[in-house]
Amino acid sequence: MILACLKWVTHPGEPHDERFAGISPADQSALEFALVQAAALGLGVTAVTVGPAGAEKVLRDALACGAQRAVRIHSAGTLSSAEVADALAAAAPAARWVWCGDYSLDRGTGSVPAYLAAALDAQQALGVISVAWQGDGVVATRRLDGGRRELLSVAAPAVISVEGATAHLRRAGLGALRAAASATIDVVHPAAPAHIDEAVVRAYRPRARALAAPLGEQPLDRLRALAATGAATATRVETVTLAPPAAAARIAAALREWGYLD
Amino acid sequence: MTARSVPTDRDVDVVVVGGGPAGSCAALVAARAGLSVVLLERGPFPGSKNMYGGVVYPRILDELIPEWWNDVPIQRWVTRRSTMLLTETQALTVDFRAGAWGAPPYNGATAYRPDFDNWLACHAQAAGAQLITSTTATGLLRDSAGTVIGVRTDRPDGDLTAHVVIACDGVNSFLAKEAGLYEHTDAKHFTLGVKETLALPKHVIDERFGVRGREGVDIEIIGATGGVNGGGFLYTNLDTIAIGVVLKLSKLGAQQQRPEQIIATLKQHPAIAPLVQDGELKEYSAHIIPEAGLTMMPKMTTDGMLVAGDAAALCLAAGIWLEGVNFAMASGMYAGQAAVEAVQANDTSAVGLAGYQRRLSDTFVLKDHRKLRRAPALVLSDRVQHLYPGMVANVVERMFRVDNPNPKPGVRRIFNQERKRAGVRRRDLLRDGWTGFRSFG
Ligand SMILES: Cc1cc2nc3c(=O)[nH]c(=O)nc-3n(C[C@H](O)[C@H](O)[C@H](O)COP(=O)(O)OP(=O)(O)OC[C@H]3O[C@@H](n4cnc5c(N)ncnc54)[C@H](O)[C@@H]3O)c2cc1C
Repeated sequence: MILACLKWVTHPGEPHDERFAGISPADQSALEFALVQAAALGLGVTAVTVGPAGAEKVLRDALACGAQRAVRIHSAGTLSSAEVADALAAAAPAARWVWCGDYSLDRGTGSVPAYLAAALDAQQALGVISVAWQGDGVVATRRLDGGRRELLSVAAPAVISVEGATAHLRRAGLGALRAAASATIDVVHPAAPAHIDEAVVRAYRPRARALAAPLGEQPLDRLRALAATGAATATRVETVTLAPPAAAARIAAALREWGYLD
Repeated sequence: MTARSVPTDRDVDVVVVGGGPAGSCAALVAARAGLSVVLLERGPFPGSKNMYGGVVYPRILDELIPEWWNDVPIQRWVTRRSTMLLTETQALTVDFRAGAWGAPPYNGATAYRPDFDNWLACHAQAAGAQLITSTTATGLLRDSAGTVIGVRTDRPDGDLTAHVVIACDGVNSFLAKEAGLYEHTDAKHFTLGVKETLALPKHVIDERFGVRGREGVDIEIIGATGGVNGGGFLYTNLDTIAIGVVLKLSKLGAQQQRPEQIIATLKQHPAIAPLVQDGELKEYSAHIIPEAGLTMMPKMTTDGMLVAGDAAALCLAAGIWLEGVNFAMASGMYAGQAAVEAVQANDTSAVGLAGYQRRLSDTFVLKDHRKLRRAPALVLSDRVQHLYPGMVANVVERMFRVDNPNPKPGVRRIFNQERKRAGVRRRDLLRDGWTGFRSFG
């Protein structure tokens, strides 16, 4: 079974008005990949969302696009990523492939797919920017720093989260849309979560970085080291003229000295 | 809800195109009678694509939704109606207030279309109609005899067959044109409506417009449209105001003016500026209006199809009245009733659907249009637009001007002097007065 996880999000300006709620382009891409893969492998897609009854609209849209089954995991409050992942895993423990969006409309942390992979004991390929089909598996491309790419060969069971522009969700046919309007949506109630943390939605803050304590015998030395941001000491500028093997050895020594190499 | 019929030779009994006020009322009536009904709307939800000035008169809903006022999503109940005659520096206002309009059964209300249209469509859905959004009807399906048997949509596998198609797709209806119901269309039959929605705190609106709580104001304006024939309006919502102009398309083109400039000039008028000052622009929108009434109306019925609301040019635009939503709701309702009759009688030909035209003729929908058939042309005429406002304002100014030591002049003398100064011939004045009397009297 292939699972497409769709996060239903209300509009921040109109939180109580379901007309403005929906799923992110990344989730739409995830659903499209799930449908394409399902057709290739001869499997069915289950669309799943966690939310209140209003969230069923996105499930009906998914059914109209070709999903076979729709499951709403009932939740009226805000769950943490781990709780959402646990609920999803419990609803579809036999999922072979799980497709998620890399981000939701409310710009959460994007961590549900990783938690889900852990809960399902599955491989993970997160933040994927393109997908190629290879037999029963998938070759997923991820973005790395400096414009480089990472190719991951992924086999089931796996969780893949994709970026928004990776696929264009197909337009549902009229007949399918009409049928989906009265289709059955399975509603499951998750086991009571450990806690419902209403405070998990906060303004975005960059994560703290661990910095080594400043070195120095005296407080003044330590202050100087802090004020100089370590730049002067950590990256001394040194110009040397050496033969290539000696230059390579010198660079490796400097990197080791600065702690980049063991 | 009545048990739904299952048509054998068609996908549904009735397909209604357009989830505006006309479409939702048509769908509501047909679904309530037990027919299977699909309501198609091209926007993501009903009302999402719709704009208008801002006042609805939902009295006709008494027949469809008893005590509709208990849950209709309105902004303010209109308890004050003003008509303003503006020249560049003068303003003459007739102001009327009715406390009774602020209590059930109410008269008119300001409302946002995304709220109002969506609410009506929810009633249609509750009656059993199936609402399909984000779907555009792109054409008609016909059988070999030319009878309309459904619509084509922009979705894959998008044909939908029905015994009756009710076209409520708004002004410039492509479906009505495709069906050959319009003999000809002419740009001079349309006006362009443009509107700005300006945000102001509720208490500021209450103070400036002299209202409290949910009371609201409707101001219709003649003059101050920058030399382009048309009119203006100013309506109060809870914490926004809507100010706009309705402009004769042919004149707008000829004058090479931009509509937003005309609104900007209106907002600077000394009688308007204090009302809109510091309003933060939230929305600018524009839409055309079928302004010519009876002159431009299409045939309302053909085999398998009816046309209602703006699609049938059933908008009443007659100066002090700009009413389209109530005409749309009523015509939609009558179209729905005629469709039910025809499907039940198993005759959805133009003859079987003739009950629609009869209902329109017997009610305010066509009676008002007939009575006011000369009003749109009169109101948009050059004399009413460019000569009379200045003439009348000058008369009033001189009546109230204290010019001592001169004695007060007689009104008749002032009137004749100002008429001559404005270049208005007595003959034209009498003729326009007679037309006005026959229309509005
Ligand atoms: C500037 C302006 C101010 C106005 N002020 C007022 C006022 O204050 N009071 C008043 O009563 N009236 C006013 N009117 C007139 C009023 O807006 C219209 O008469 C009324 O909206 C007509 O309703 P309707 O349902 O016929 O059409 P519309 O309200 O135009 O609804 C048509 C619906 O059909 C949908 N549609 C169109 N084509 C298709 C298609 N092919 N497939 C699927 N769906 C389609 C549209 O998205 C829309 O939802 C004003 C109009 C304008 C432009």
